[in-house]
Amino acid sequence: MGSNSLTLAPAPRSAAAEEVRAEVREFLAAELAAGTFTTHVDTWLSGVDPAFSCKLGERGWLGMTWPKRYGGHERTAMERYAVTEELLAAGAPVAAHWIADRQSGPNLLRYGTEAQRTEILPRIAAGECYFVIGMSEPDSGSDLASIRTRATRNGDGDWVVNGAKVWTSNAHTSHYAITLVRTSPADPANRHAGLSQLLVDLSLPGITVNPIRILDGGHHFNEVVFDDVVVPGEMLLGEEGAGWHQVTAELAFERSGPERFLSTYPLIAEFARRAADPAQLAALGRISARLLALRQLSLRIAGALDRGELPDIPAALVKDVGTTFEADVIDEVRRAVDVPASLDSPDPLGRALAEAQLHAPGYTLRGGTNEILRGIVARGLGLR
Amino acid sequence: MSDVDLVVETVRDILTKHEPFVLSTERPWDAGLWSALAEAGLTGVGLPEEAGGSGGELADAVAIVGALAAGAAAVPVAEQLLVAAPAVLAADLDLPAPEEPLSFAVAGAVTAEPRDDGDGPGSWMLTGTATDVAWAGVAQHLAVLATSPVGPVLALVHVAGRQATHAANLAGEPRGSLVLQGVTAPGALLTEAQAEQLRARYALARAVQLSAALQQVLAWTVHHAGEREQFGRPLGKFQAIQMELAEMAGEVTAVAALVDAAVQAVERGESLVLACAAAKVRAGAAVEVVARLAHQVHGAIGFTQEHRLHHLTRRCWSWRDEAGTETAWAAVLGAGLLADGPDALWPALTRVV
Ligand SMILES: Cc1cc2nc3c(=O)[nH]c(=O)nc-3n(C[C@H](O)[C@H](O)[C@H](O)COP(=O)(O)OP(=O)(O)OC[C@H]3O[C@@H](n4cnc5c(N)ncnc54)[C@H](O)[C@@H]3O)c2cc1C
Repeated sequence: MGSNSLTLAPAPRSAAAEEVRAEVREFLAAELAAGTFTTHVDTWLSGVDPAFSCKLGERGWLGMTWPKRYGGHERTAMERYAVTEELLAAGAPVAAHWIADRQSGPNLLRYGTEAQRTEILPRIAAGECYFVIGMSEPDSGSDLASIRTRATRNGDGDWVVNGAKVWTSNAHTSHYAITLVRTSPADPANRHAGLSQLLVDLSLPGITVNPIRILDGGHHFNEVVFDDVVVPGEMLLGEEGAGWHQVTAELAFERSGPERFLSTYPLIAEFARRAADPAQLAALGRISARLLALRQLSLRIAGALDRGELPDIPAALVKDVGTTFEADVIDEVRRAVDVPASLDSPDPLGRALAEAQLHAPGYTLRGGTNEILRGIVARGLGLR
Repeated sequence: MSDVDLVVETVRDILTKHEPFVLSTERPWDAGLWSALAEAGLTGVGLPEEAGGSGGELADAVAIVGALAAGAAAVPVAEQLLVAAPAVLAADLDLPAPEEPLSFAVAGAVTAEPRDDGDGPGSWMLTGTATDVAWAGVAQHLAVLATSPVGPVLALVHVAGRQATHAANLAGEPRGSLVLQGVTAPGALLTEAQAEQLRARYALARAVQLSAALQQVLAWTVHHAGEREQFGRPLGKFQAIQMELAEMAGEVTAVAALVDAAVQAVERGESLVLACAAAKVRAGAAVEVVARLAHQVHGAIGFTQEHRLHHLTRRCWSWRDEAGTETAWAAVLGAGLLADGPDALWPALTRVV
């Protein structure tokens, strides 16, 4: 079936994936025992730990599918799937490198110049170089094509960028922003034209990163303001004017992974320690059945990526079903136990519930809201 | 075209001549459809030719059951091909002719007493009543999972002509009771594990039916939304309707992925109880969403027996409860995943399918 149909072929079983899974599991057990990290909910957003990212890089678990000449390891998407899934299930601190490894690197690989690739990809694969997504703006969320951040060429052929990005996760701990900018005036007849992606070094003069606190008080969001920022001409990513097409491809990577249903897995794991009576075991069973179905869907996407497909419609579907599940887990657990949610709870289950709840509104918003995703699925159903 | 596609094509072809109808006490099943399927050898698919079957793989049998479920076919094919016949063969009992409908019942209230040495295939005397028997009064043979002082027993009872009490599921499919007091039947002692696997396969059979039926309900609903116009536009052009259809598609796709994976686990001969349990729970959970939204999108016409929708929604509402309810299987799944302790939950999850 084509990549735009809703269903994908079942994923092939991968012995290599199971092998690397076992290695990651062993590594994580040792790290947990050594106390280098503690398990938390939603750590791919909030668990920034560069030292941990470097350890993963050393072991070859970043940039896994990329060519060796760019520091990659030429492994399959199925193997990468196993690695990311293990890290998420353990609630390991993977936020520093997550975006770079998941989507910025693949984006560079597809559209970057040779210089951009050789300069940046090996550092991402080493766990040293982090990226942010510079898409959303104060007045442009779901309607991404309406962005107003502008880049114009100056006399030297460099780009001068003005505007502001917002909700930029971990801009304060990252090195580059792949920034969607308008490079020619908006054309009401073709809203998707005139957009481009720039590879912006976040240390450039004229960039201000202002923190925005999320519900639990954590600092992940930022406003990134560009005030006459001069970006070297060669930092255009891909083609001028092809930004919309490139962003769409990037979103397929952004939307398809196991982080779209495992953000609250650490809460499930904590609940499992408590589940004893038949009602609790049934709650665990219901949660697990949904999780197992999502795994199959996500594995199918990894299989499709290995076949060279870019399954954007199935990815939208998995993300809709997966993020709905992430939030439902909280309710299912709450109703099965008698434990109030509090970050200060002496009970680890109370703390996990609190972390999961305070992050919950984000699950079904980030990376495209579920309403937008369902619109994409509706297109897959032939309705629009 | 693969073998599986070919088999499905044949079933669909036969189904065009056998429209679903409202089941009643007078007409509790589609005998004509059954004959047509049997004539085409489709009631023996997945069963070895040496045993009187038509050969083929489990995948073929699953495809047949799916196609028939999507067609709301009132025939005991799921019970025969996916549960009872494989169980009878595994227990080394003689398989009845595939054209004679064979059903399956988990009958905790039926006890079996050995009439000979009691181990291996032998003769058993049954006592008690099997309740909730799928196709009671229709099936000519019944594979009964009974209890005995020495463990679970699978007995193969010839039930043709035996009076069944009238009871039906929400779709009118016969689910009556059969009194098996004093019946002698061939049977075999099973281990507890074998009995559990048999119950799990029954659950998987219902999950296969649910998955196919839910896919069909989605397809019908998308079709309806494209045809029916209000306010000068097809319903499917309204964003509210698109959201509902997309939500249905998410459920249907998730169910299909897990059910397929569970079938494959069974094909690989892996320990299958948790995979089947998960498939049954997931498929059952989707019924609420898919049936509710399908009826919502269809409007009043879908709330009548004049429209085809009820043939599948009423079946789905029952199938989710049959062969073990979602709650029962969810508890089995939860407990099974914790078998090695709570810290091994994740490894257990990655092993299920
Ligand atoms: C945790 C988190 C991390 C994020 N990280 C980043 C990041 O690193 N970089 C980045 O660029 N962005 C990031 N975002 C922003 C994210 O992409 C946006 O939140 C998202 O695209 C929605 O935009 P919005 O918040 O402006 O909501 P809006 O677009 O204003 O939407 C508000 C509501 O209206 C609905 N709506 C909007 N349009 C339609 C429509 N046409 N039909 C039906 N309903 C509609 C939406 O579904 C939503 O329910 C992040 C967001 C979150 C929550």
